[in-house]
Amino acid sequence: MKRLERYIPFVIDNLIWFLLFSVFLFACLFTPRFLTQRNVINILEHSSVLGIMVIGQSLCLLSGNFDLSAESTLGLTALLGAYLVTAAGAPAFGSGLLLPPFAALAIMFLVGLGVGWLNGFLITRLKMNNFIVTLAMLIVLRGLTMVLNEGKTISSINPSILALGSAKIGVIPLSVWVMLVSFALAYVLTRYIQFGRDLYAVGGNRDAAQASGVDADRRIRQVYMVSGLIAAFAGWMFLGRLGSGVASMGTGMIFEIQAAAVIGGISLFGGRGSIMGALGGVLLLSVISSVLALMQVSTFWYDTIRGLIILLAMLIDAQKVNFRKKDVISAVSTRLA
Amino acid sequence: MPTSDLQPIVEMRAITKLFPGVRALDQVNFNVYPGEIRGLVGKNGAGKSTLMHILTGLYPPTHGEIWIAGKPVANLTSTTAKELGISIVHQHSQMIPPLSMAENIYCGNLPKSRFGLIDWPRTFREAQASIEQLGLRIDVRRTIEGASIAEKQMIEIVKALFAKARVMVLDEPTAPLPKSEVELLFSFVRRLRDQGVSFVYISHYLEEVFQLCDTVTVLKDGAVVGDYPVSNLTQTSLISLISGSRVERFQRVEQDRHPGAPALQIKNLSREAAYTNINLTLCQGEIVGLTGLDGCGKDSLARGLFGLEPLGEGEVQVDQKPFRPAKEPKEAIAQGLAYLPRDRHGYGIVRYRPIRENITLPILRRLLNKLGLLDLAQEKTHVADLIEQLNIRTPSPEQQVQLLSGGNQQKVVFAKLISVQPKVLLLDEPTQGVDIQAKVEILKIIADLARQKMCVVVISEEIRELLDICDRVLVMYKGQVTDEFKVGVPEATYQRILMAVEGSLLRERTHETA
Repeated sequence: MKRLERYIPFVIDNLIWFLLFSVFLFACLFTPRFLTQRNVINILEHSSVLGIMVIGQSLCLLSGNFDLSAESTLGLTALLGAYLVTAAGAPAFGSGLLLPPFAALAIMFLVGLGVGWLNGFLITRLKMNNFIVTLAMLIVLRGLTMVLNEGKTISSINPSILALGSAKIGVIPLSVWVMLVSFALAYVLTRYIQFGRDLYAVGGNRDAAQASGVDADRRIRQVYMVSGLIAAFAGWMFLGRLGSGVASMGTGMIFEIQAAAVIGGISLFGGRGSIMGALGGVLLLSVISSVLALMQVSTFWYDTIRGLIILLAMLIDAQKVNFRKKDVISAVSTRLA
Repeated sequence: MPTSDLQPIVEMRAITKLFPGVRALDQVNFNVYPGEIRGLVGKNGAGKSTLMHILTGLYPPTHGEIWIAGKPVANLTSTTAKELGISIVHQHSQMIPPLSMAENIYCGNLPKSRFGLIDWPRTFREAQASIEQLGLRIDVRRTIEGASIAEKQMIEIVKALFAKARVMVLDEPTAPLPKSEVELLFSFVRRLRDQGVSFVYISHYLEEVFQLCDTVTVLKDGAVVGDYPVSNLTQTSLISLISGSRVERFQRVEQDRHPGAPALQIKNLSREAAYTNINLTLCQGEIVGLTGLDGCGKDSLARGLFGLEPLGEGEVQVDQKPFRPAKEPKEAIAQGLAYLPRDRHGYGIVRYRPIRENITLPILRRLLNKLGLLDLAQEKTHVADLIEQLNIRTPSPEQQVQLLSGGNQQKVVFAKLISVQPKVLLLDEPTQGVDIQAKVEILKIIADLARQKMCVVVISEEIRELLDICDRVLVMYKGQVTDEFKVGVPEATYQRILMAVEGSLLRERTHETA
């Protein structure tokens, strides 16, 4: 028993990987078609857009802020990209501007950046609540997306702008590679770059960070701009996977994004969690979706089961805090003994 | 005064508490008699909190019995403890700020009229009557937000009394309290004791234990050293009981420290409602104490200089260069200032993060390599050096700061300040909430920093400590620097400084000139 107890902190810190491993093992044993090349690639591909969105969200959460508007930013920028490069009228229903893809991308990124800037401005300069600001933005941007093309589906899109979401390198889709590289970059950002480390401090104790010379408001403005940019990038990828532009792109995704981050150990209260844990959260959700599909669970049950999994993750998170408290007491007494 | 033939209201018998791998309490006997104020003292981690957590039902003892009012109690929980009249008043108030004091006192059980509606007139009338009966003059219609800290604590005690408390645990109640309000709280506690309420008083401030307590129980390493009537003890004997040996008192070493060139010069600095016409010259390698009553402007001055509050009008030079008023602490740090906040948890540490990250937070920019990435190896050496230099007791630099004792947390904040290599160090109550041993170590660190040519300003209400460490002690009264004492000259006594703090020296002088 004593010997086992020593490993508890290790298990708690890496809980997401143990969970992922158990679910993976379960899936391998009970769903025969799970461990096929095609299915594994499917899982990774499903993870790609979600994963990139989770990076942006995790950075915001680390600083102690929500960005609920991310899915609408994705939708708006993706549709805008499709709109700008496509011919007008039926059957394409684009703008007729026929912009070259790089110009459309530049505009998409500018819009993403602009949304992030506006969020940050409202939150830090006008001292509005981050949850409400980004919730309102979620609705406003989705509305704009509808307005932009009156809900019509855009097709016959210039294939070069779709490549990010549709091309393959070997058997593995480009988007999967891009996601993995993005996580590697995000890991470096949170560990080796001052900006990333400042986010932890701002989210952990904003006043102390400020008193240590960190400009907390500036960091928060920056993290929203980064989140907006990342959402635009994910929008680009999403468009490629879909192949056509619809106004509902990314709708409802924010729940999955938050769930993945939280299951991965990113605290909603800021300052705690690691970006690699968030990757684990993304993979876990994708694996579970895949298992449900392969086991031919009725789609009506999907959301219920996913919701229960989120609850379970929160339960474990809460227990983690309880355990840590006990850990604190014993650690303090040990030192004095 | 309690006598041994009286039956104790609380009797904890042979309490042992085991945590994984640790014996936190070992066969502790602890009694509280009706109508006494019992001090509970010991170093951080001696077991005071564990014992009180057991008494208030937060967790059960591993072995041992608890008797309350002569009856054994099995399975004490926080709810049953409250029902049995045991309640704890925490250092930081546990009330709901936007609600009125009356509502907070009733704690959800407001008197109702016939139709089940809240009877407000009766609520306020009854709350007011009972509060006045306890000798307090507080308007219960006011909200908690507008109350002073002492008022909040007294209201908290009243709230516990309303819930029929007979034994109240006061956990470091005076730590967040300005000196002027301490006596207010004490006389209230004494009055309640005379009405038969018992108190357990936990404090690091031994002076207060002597002022307030009737008896004192000393804990050390989870065991009881002994129970003593306060009248049989002196401060020195109590200290040696607590530490188990004679603690070295801080020793001044003066020879190798000489004040150098001016480091902080302030001319005609004023800010409305904070301070007026401040003129100071502080030198490199000098330790200057700044004391005064709460609200005299001493901490506003530091916060103003550091950019946490506006600075006001006037001329400031740091290191003989003009100082631009800082809008953000960042700008103050860039100009050579560092500030140790009084509120360690609020402004000092990021408690979930490791020691390493806390220490290097303000200097990450200097740890970047050519690629703009953090040089983790360099960071580790820097942190390891400081952990050694300041003697921070931790198993690893990766330990979360919240797992350290108060004294060690404070040393982490010091390490952070030293990292920025400031010219002027502003320390606001640097020894608050740390145990005696850690206090001595922190005073040594301060002396060391002065030896390295830093100019150190110690803002504190602990006059004896200032006399121990400072070269000069400045006294502020109502926003002005009214007196200056050079430590070592015959006038610089505890008594004289105390008089200056209370403004009576100033009154004497104006009297003479008049």
